[in-house]
Amino acid sequence: MERQIINKKKRVFSVEPNKIPPSEVFTRKYTSHLVPALKKLNMNKNSSQVNQLTVKHEVDMALALSAQEFAWSRFLLQKLSSSNNPTTATSSSSNGIRIQERSGKEGGGDEDGEIEEKLRELQKLLPGGEEMNVEEMLSEIGTYIKCLELQTIALKSMVQDTT
Amino acid sequence: MLEGLVSPENLSLSYADMSVPERLKWLQQHQQQEVLSLSSNDSPDLLQILQFHGSNNDELLQSTFSHFQMVGSGFGTNYNMGFGHSHEAMDGCISRTSSCQIHPPDTMGVMLKNSEENRAISLKNKRKSEVKTREEEKTEKKIKVEAETESNISNKEASSDTSKETSKGASQIQKLDYIHVRARRGEATDRHSLAERARREKISKKMKYLQDLVPGCNTVTGKAGVLDEIINYVQSLQRQVEFLSMKLAVINPELELGVEDLSVKQFQAAYFTNFPVVIASKPSVMVDVPLFPLDQQGSLNLSVSNPNQTSIDAPSESWETQSQSLFASVLR
Repeated sequence: MERQIINKKKRVFSVEPNKIPPSEVFTRKYTSHLVPALKKLNMNKNSSQVNQLTVKHEVDMALALSAQEFAWSRFLLQKLSSSNNPTTATSSSSNGIRIQERSGKEGGGDEDGEIEEKLRELQKLLPGGEEMNVEEMLSEIGTYIKCLELQTIALKSMVQDTT
Repeated sequence: MLEGLVSPENLSLSYADMSVPERLKWLQQHQQQEVLSLSSNDSPDLLQILQFHGSNNDELLQSTFSHFQMVGSGFGTNYNMGFGHSHEAMDGCISRTSSCQIHPPDTMGVMLKNSEENRAISLKNKRKSEVKTREEEKTEKKIKVEAETESNISNKEASSDTSKETSKGASQIQKLDYIHVRARRGEATDRHSLAERARREKISKKMKYLQDLVPGCNTVTGKAGVLDEIINYVQSLQRQVEFLSMKLAVINPELELGVEDLSVKQFQAAYFTNFPVVIASKPSVMVDVPLFPLDQQGSLNLSVSNPNQTSIDAPSESWETQSQSLFASVLR
């Protein structure tokens, strides 16, 4: 039955396959990941207390799953799966070594140092940002921002729906 | 340094899609449009992000675009490596690169303004020029080879003997990438600084793109300010998500998720028009919604996904009428 629904979904969408805006694609994917996960959480938890952490986990998981085209989603998935298995240690590789390369070329004064710092901070915000070089990180940040925005809208309307 | 040389190729990777005359036509056609298009792009969605992505490396492209259907441009052909979908990317890239130039690009080679290198300019501009001095030949060939080869043939140490043939062969087999870099008068024009300048321009282009993306960045000038704004914005978004997920956790038991996906359409409305979306009252029962009446709505390209297998004995007719009225109110 579920497959039927999914197939019907596809059929409905494929009327104009090239013109679905990617934001819509992402939003749909996101809700289709998150909603069942939340329902499962609901059903599995016998106690009425739904752990906030698990919800956050599901939220992040849905984000990562719906945006698999981007590099940061891979890192996010890694992080999530590693947080599930505490045995795997997350190795944080060179923290901004690539940025230091850049500052060498710039012959940095104070201003450049500031910029490097900010770039490093930005890298920390982005999942997996520390393992990318600057250019890659900048483009990934763009997509990350977009997906975050869509995610907040999705969550907002989900919360609104029920209150 | 190899990195620095490889990356400019990736910038112009999008050029790989066309042969040179096509490309020239394309550029000329779009030069006038690009200024307008750049300024009028007010709602950047993932389409533009993906355009932007077109300037990045191969694997990313191949993994990203497999998921999205891009609008075909006027070319409609699929080139090798599956870059047919990056026409939009090329469009965006071309418009961006051409906006960096002062004069319309009359050449497709590396452009130098240094007066001493003028001869080299004219020589480089022609794709297969024969008249060169030995030394210039070698450096030019090397630059051209690196400019022309895509990332899989990126060996800097390609022998200068075979480089000419390989460059010719490469230009025939693989489409050409060209770097558009302007050297100001008196600036060094050696390969390293060229590559570095190209890299810096790439980065500044991305910064400009991010500036458009993040609201409120237009007033700030300078990289540091823009970066600040971006950091704040990302942090606030992340905090928002956390807060909302906490809220969700609180109200999770009462979640009425049966008709959740109806609000996807509302998302777009909310996102693009900022109108408050009125959510009609829904039945608070989770049922397997018969999709047939929904399809008849025509303009709605949604379907309700209800993986919940428990079907409740609601009279299907009343549900259909209810859902249709619901959709009617949503569409309004």
